[in-house]
Amino acid sequence: MPTTLPSADVHLASAAKQSNISRGFWAEAWRQFRQRRLAMAALCYVGFLVLVALLAPAIAGTKPVVCRYKGKLYFPALAYFNPAWENPIFFKDRFRKLYPENLKKKDPKSWAIWPLLYQDPYRRIRTGEWEGQPENPSGDKGRPNRFNLFGTNQEGIDVFAQMVHGTTIALLVGFVSMGLAGAIGIALGALGGYLGGWADMLLSRITEVVMCVPTLVLILALIALVDKPTIWHMMAIIGCTGWTSIARLARAEFLKLRESDFVIAARALGVGWPRIVFRHVLPNALAPVLVPITFGIASAILIESGLSFLGFGAPPPNPSWGTLLNSGRQNMNLWWLIFFPGLAIFLAVLAYNLIGEGLQEATDPRLRDAGR
Amino acid sequence: MLNYVIRRLMIGAFTLLLITFVIFGLIRNMPGSPITLAMGEDPSRKISAADLERLRKSYGLDKPWPQAYVGWVGQLLQGDLGRSISRKQPVTKLIQERVGPTLLLSLTSILLAYILSTPLGLYATVRSGHLDERITSVLLYMLYSLPSFVGALFLLIVFYQNLEWLPLRGMTGDDYESLSALGKVLDIGRHAILPITCYTYISLAYDARFIRANMAEVVRQDYVRTARAKGVGPMRVLVVHAFRNTLIPFVTQIGLTLPALLSGSVILEQIFSWPGMGRLFFESIAERDYATIMGLTLMFSVLTLAGQLLADLLYALVDPRISYS
Repeated sequence: MPTTLPSADVHLASAAKQSNISRGFWAEAWRQFRQRRLAMAALCYVGFLVLVALLAPAIAGTKPVVCRYKGKLYFPALAYFNPAWENPIFFKDRFRKLYPENLKKKDPKSWAIWPLLYQDPYRRIRTGEWEGQPENPSGDKGRPNRFNLFGTNQEGIDVFAQMVHGTTIALLVGFVSMGLAGAIGIALGALGGYLGGWADMLLSRITEVVMCVPTLVLILALIALVDKPTIWHMMAIIGCTGWTSIARLARAEFLKLRESDFVIAARALGVGWPRIVFRHVLPNALAPVLVPITFGIASAILIESGLSFLGFGAPPPNPSWGTLLNSGRQNMNLWWLIFFPGLAIFLAVLAYNLIGEGLQEATDPRLRDAGR
Repeated sequence: MLNYVIRRLMIGAFTLLLITFVIFGLIRNMPGSPITLAMGEDPSRKISAADLERLRKSYGLDKPWPQAYVGWVGQLLQGDLGRSISRKQPVTKLIQERVGPTLLLSLTSILLAYILSTPLGLYATVRSGHLDERITSVLLYMLYSLPSFVGALFLLIVFYQNLEWLPLRGMTGDDYESLSALGKVLDIGRHAILPITCYTYISLAYDARFIRANMAEVVRQDYVRTARAKGVGPMRVLVVHAFRNTLIPFVTQIGLTLPALLSGSVILEQIFSWPGMGRLFFESIAERDYATIMGLTLMFSVLTLAGQLLADLLYALVDPRISYS
C-alpha cells in the first residue's frame, strides 16, 4: 500500500494526534511551548529581529528619524524602507543625502532627532559629516572600532549598518517565501489527500518532480528567466520550490482525517467538498503542517544567504547578510566581514529550528507525553 | 513484492521523463546559449550572423526545444548523454573525472559521521537528563543549525588565515606533480581536511540526534525493561537489546543518502574550489552547458528515485511486519 516514502510514514506516525481535538488545542499547545526555555528564547530572538528590522532606520542611518525643516515636520528616515517616500523638498533644496550640515545651513531654526548611530548601509561616511566622527576606514583597515561596531568593508561602508538593514531581508525572505510555499503546499496536499484517485496521483507526481529536481538548478534557471531579479523574485522562487515537504505532510494528514467521523457527518449533511476541505479538515491538519513551515523558514534564509553568497542574490546595493559574507570571502584578512554576518545567519537559522522543534513537541501529544 | 517493484519502476520512469522535460525546457529558455556566452567575453571572436546560424545548426540548437528534447531522449536510450559544447568533451567523461573527488569527500564524511555519531547518540541516551547530556545536545543542535558555508568560512579564517596550517583551495598543491606517491596522498589529505570536516559536522549532528530520538523511543519498550529485570548488564541492554532495534529507521536513512553521495555540495565545493560534481553543476549552469546540466540532472534524479525505492525495500527487508504485497 505505501506508495510514499518511509520517512513520510514516520512523519505521519509522529504527526499522528488524537482525532478528538478539544477546543483548547492551541491554548494547550502554547502552554506546552512556553515551558520549553530554548524555544521561548528563540521566539524572543525572532521578536527582537522583527524589532531591529522595523527600527533599522532609527538604529543606524544618516537621515533624521524626525526633523522640523522650514516650519514643517518630516520623517526622512522612512526613505530607507522605500526610496519613493523621501520628501521631494529635500531633492529640491539639494541636500544630496547630507542631512546634518544642510539642515543647519538651510534652516538654522531646524531641529532633528537622529538615529542612534550615524552610519549608512549604502555609502561611506566622510570626514566632517557628523561632529566628532572620523571618516570610515576603507581597504583592509576597517577593523571593528568605536564608530564602526562591526568594522567596515573595503569600500568603507559600515558593516553594522548593513547588517541592521539586512535584517529586513532575512525576515522577509523567511516569511514571504514560506507563506507562499505554505499556501501552495497546503492547497496541493489538501486536494490530493482529500480527493484521492487520479487527482492524488497527478499531484503526487508533481510533488515528486519538484522534489527530485536539484533545488539549485531550479532556482538558478528561474532566476535567469527573470530580467532584473529583485529580492521579491528570489522570495517567489524560493517559495515556489520549497513547498514539497509541506504538501506531503498535508496530504498524509488529509488522507487520515478524510475518514474521520466529523468529515463523514459533514458529507452526510450535504456540505460541498471545498467547504469540507478548507473549513472542517484544514484547521485540524494545521498543527503538524506548521512544523515543516517553521523549519522551511530556516532553510529559506539559508537558501537566500547561500545564493547571495554565490553571487546570485538580489542586486548589489541590497545589504543582505549573504552578500556581506561573499565580500568577506574575497579577502580573508577582513575576518569581521565573515564573522558577524555568519553569526547572524547562524543565529537566525538556529532560532527558527528551535521554534520548529518546540512547536513539534508542543503540538504532538506523542512527543509531549514522552517529555519530562 | 515483485509487482510492487515493477509498479514503482514504471512510475519512476514516468517521473524521470517529466523531470527531464521540465528541466530541458527551463534551461533551453534561459537567456544566452553556450555559443553566445563563449564569445561574449572576447570581441575579436565575434562572428557573422550566418556563421552563428551554422554553429547553432551544427550543435542542434536551431530546433525548438521540445523537438530537441525528443532527440535527447533518443540519444539517451542509446546510452549517449551527449557532448558538452563549452568543454568539447563527452558528458560521461566529464562526470567520470569529477566523481572521484566528490566520492572522496562524501564517503569519508558519511563513514566518519556514522562512526562518531553512534557513541554520541548512545552516550546521550544513557546520560539523558543530566547536565552533561543537555550541554552536548545543545552543542549538537547548534552544530546542526550552523550553515555549512558559514562553518567553512569560520574554519578557513582559523586554519588558513590565522594559523596557516591548511591550504585555502583546490585538491592538490602547486608542487603536486613533483611529490612522491606518499607525498601526493598527504597533499590531497591536507587539502581534504577542511571540506571533510564541513561535510561531516552537519551529518554528525543530524545522525546523533536521529539515533538519540530513536533510542529514546526504544528504551521505554517492555523488552528493554524485561532485559534489565532478568539481570542483563547495562551495556548489553543498551547495545544488543535497544540499539539493534533502532537500526530499522537507520537502514532506510542509508537509502536516502544515496543521492548526497554523488551530488556533492555546490556551495562547499565552490568555497574550497574542489573539482567535484557540485562545482561541475554550478559551472555548467553558468556556461549554459545544456548537455552537462541534463546529464547531471538525470543522474541526481535517478539516484533520488532509486534511493527512495531502496529505502522502502530495505524497510520491508529489515522489518518483517512491513510487506508490499
